[in-house]
Amino acid sequence: MLEIKHVSKSFFGFLALDDVSMRVEKGSFHALVGPNGAGKTTLFNVVVGRYPPDGGEVRLEERRTSGLATYRVVRMGLGISFQRSQAFLSMSVLENVMLAVLAHQGRSRALMRSFSAESEAKTTAYELIGWVGLADKTETPTAALPLGDLKRVDIAMALAGKPKLLLLDEPLAGLSRSERVSMVNFIEGLLRGLGITLLFTEHDTDAVLRLADRITVLHQGRVLAEGGPDEIKNDARVIEAFLGEEYAEG
Amino acid sequence: MKARGWLYLIAATLLAAPWVLPGYALEVAIQVLILALFATAFNLVFAETGLLSFGHAAFFGVGAYTSALLMQRASWPYLLTLPAAVGTAAALALLIGFFSVRTSRIYFTMLTLAFAQLVWAVVHKWYAFTGGDNGVTGLQPGQLWSDPHALYYLALLLTVVTFLLAVRLHLAPFGYALRAIRDNQARAEAVGLSPFGYLLAAFTLSGALAGAAGFLQVAWQRSAFPDFLYWTKSAEVIIATILGGAQSILGPSLGSLVFVELGAFVQSHTEYWPLVLGLVLLGLVLFLPRGLAGLGGARAGD
Repeated sequence: MLEIKHVSKSFFGFLALDDVSMRVEKGSFHALVGPNGAGKTTLFNVVVGRYPPDGGEVRLEERRTSGLATYRVVRMGLGISFQRSQAFLSMSVLENVMLAVLAHQGRSRALMRSFSAESEAKTTAYELIGWVGLADKTETPTAALPLGDLKRVDIAMALAGKPKLLLLDEPLAGLSRSERVSMVNFIEGLLRGLGITLLFTEHDTDAVLRLADRITVLHQGRVLAEGGPDEIKNDARVIEAFLGEEYAEG
Repeated sequence: MKARGWLYLIAATLLAAPWVLPGYALEVAIQVLILALFATAFNLVFAETGLLSFGHAAFFGVGAYTSALLMQRASWPYLLTLPAAVGTAAALALLIGFFSVRTSRIYFTMLTLAFAQLVWAVVHKWYAFTGGDNGVTGLQPGQLWSDPHALYYLALLLTVVTFLLAVRLHLAPFGYALRAIRDNQARAEAVGLSPFGYLLAAFTLSGALAGAAGFLQVAWQRSAFPDFLYWTKSAEVIIATILGGAQSILGPSLGSLVFVELGAFVQSHTEYWPLVLGLVLLGLVLFLPRGLAGLGGARAGD
């Protein structure tokens, strides 16, 4: 699905990514973890097309995406939800999701139609909003939503283009303990059901171990380890680098 | 029902005005319409994309000069110069927009100002073609358009068309996409919108309509002057827009009405118009940050 091959990126002489390679298999939930400064965000930004890599390349279903602008990568089938999720704050939940749907259908340039008369996009948007559990808040201005709900709007917008691969950057960041539980359940329930391929970064180790089929551990800009959750939590290098003893079994 | 009543009242007033107003007041009313058209065009970019252009005088002026020079040198009938004025203004906006809309906020404002001053300098100095600082004078727009009644209705028509276009854009998917880019550019790109194309299209449309305002100014003044392109003209349209309220679709028109009428009134009594304007702006910023339209409470644009 997604292939990252020998990607390097440096900023002002600091090597943020050093020959990083990894693959995300179709249908899997793949976590990207590592301590702060390990290069997760840089890698995320390379994949979404915000930074061109200095070396190496990224391919989405065989098609090269590295070096392309974000909106082009999105049109090739990448769904993106940012860590600091912010909707279009002048619009309601419904308008946000409708616009995402229209943009993906290439219908957002229209001048002679009314936005509110786009009944097809509206139907799709209602469905997406239902999926993320905000059916009772469609008319709410997004500026009035709590962070947890904003993240759900963000995910609904990311799903609007029926992405081949969904990228979630820190889906639990900033949420309270109870919100975290419901977000993890939500991601698992919804995205597994949809058969979505997911690549996500997350600091919450419990959530990672519960959600991920496969985990790539970054450390100082390099891939330290990769494997299933059981392998990773017992990997001596990973424990030393950042997991801590408590996650090791036996 | 109530809104429709107001609409009829405004329409009747606008249509009857030339038959009620004495000569001088009609001339002022035409100025109100020209500035209202210009401000509504300017606000297409300002309100929908959040980008503050300080160079819209260039499009106004180039529209005016296109019309004036075609009449003077090629003896085109006045009305036929409208598409040419709109076309050259659009072409200039496309060019300036191409280099400016990629930049953000203050850089966009400074770049549009710089480009406009550049165009002003050319018009100001190119005596052989534009007449330099003497301008293009003594124009004869024909018998019909020399009658202020006819010119008033032409200005009203173009202003209403521009206004309806602004409403159309605000309610269309295109307008939503522009506001999405304004609200959060990174998120807009992440749903597949390419900001550059949208911003350039909006900027070009806005510049083209500003050219139509310049076209009207030529018939009103029977001349074109480099002042039309000077930065103070850009400031005028910004002031009128903010005075009326940029967040309301009627705001720029309302602001233009007050700006022109107040200016005409104050200037007939004292030479201290800039001082009065300064005080009005001060009061506005302090007490009415959302402009005169903010007095109504409701956001007419939404």
